[in-house]
Amino acid sequence: MSFALPARQVTFGRPSQYQQQQQQNGLALPGGNPYQPQNALALPGPSPLSNPYQQPSKSQSPPPPTNANAVAGPSTPPVPSTPIPLTLEQQHITAVEGIVPTLQNIVATVNLDCRLDLKTIALHARNAEYNPKRFAAVIMRIRDPKTTALIFASGKMVVTGAKSEDDSRLASRKYARIVQKLGFEAKFSEFKIQNIVGSCDVKFPIRLEGLAYSHGQFSSYEPELFPGLIYRMIKPKVVLLIFVSGKIVLTGAKIREEIYTAFNQIYTVLCEFRKP
Amino acid sequence: MASAYYEFYRGSSIGMALTDSLDELITSGAITPQLAMKVLQQFDKSLADTMVKQVKAKTTLKGHLKTYRLCDDVWTFIVKQASFKMEQNEMITTPRIKIIACKNGDAIEAGKK
Repeated sequence: MSFALPARQVTFGRPSQYQQQQQQNGLALPGGNPYQPQNALALPGPSPLSNPYQQPSKSQSPPPPTNANAVAGPSTPPVPSTPIPLTLEQQHITAVEGIVPTLQNIVATVNLDCRLDLKTIALHARNAEYNPKRFAAVIMRIRDPKTTALIFASGKMVVTGAKSEDDSRLASRKYARIVQKLGFEAKFSEFKIQNIVGSCDVKFPIRLEGLAYSHGQFSSYEPELFPGLIYRMIKPKVVLLIFVSGKIVLTGAKIREEIYTAFNQIYTVLCEFRKP
Repeated sequence: MASAYYEFYRGSSIGMALTDSLDELITSGAITPQLAMKVLQQFDKSLADTMVKQVKAKTTLKGHLKTYRLCDDVWTFIVKQASFKMEQNEMITTPRIKIIACKNGDAIEAGKK
């Protein structure tokens, strides 16, 4: 795997002027880390363009046949009265039912470690917006991976919209390359995923009042303000938006396993408050 | 006050004709270059106002937005496979068009290149 961006990325920068420079610099980003998942927990995808988020996580998908409860079928999950002491078997139930939260958005930050002239960037890069009266950053988008970056004069950058960790990192590198090709000494440092958002559907309606009442410590349910129940899980530290329809949004995670764990924990609780 | 208006209409055919005529008048000594500048500034203003107030023609544009840019209150769009639908249901298609849209006071105008 090459750490450099593919040659077609040339289209993002200025045409000829910088290509020469690019060859001198070498294609690889200086100071960049090797292309690999940030943490050991991230799923090792075969390529940066793969979609590993569609595969179940390693820690949550051991072979189902060993799970005795799996045989019981999807409609009869054992419902414990308290959600906290979860056994492994119970965690496997959700995987057996085939519900794995889909990652919807990943927000990451990068430090390009270089002062940037935003006007130069806005003038020469494509798909850039810069309106300093409204917002002190260049808003730039690329189509693959479909993401948006906020690029600040300090050299800090926020990349949003990616659907997987790998995509987020790849997109961040592409933005760094674009900035580099515009003539800045941009590095690729301090890449960090700041937030992961996932969603899923448990496919049964939920009694939010009951859930809010018995989990009052974690729940905030104000239907006049917002139709969903806001569930602030402590461990893992994830916020869940739970809707009557059974649709769930999970946010606030730094690694995808937190999304999966949070979902597995809430699932047993939700079964308890299933609408008859 | 005149500086508040863009000068891009000077590049249109009517603007070019005006510039040529003014050049001729300056060369023959009929007017001073200062007066010619004033005329051009008035032209910028008049055309900007006229485009906003009197041009009612409309067209709808469809296509694939290839790139866009916003800098200094000027939007640039490059649209691929653009098709314009004019008022009389006349269709004009083009493989690529660049649109430059500028703000003018509180009115927004579009100039095309």
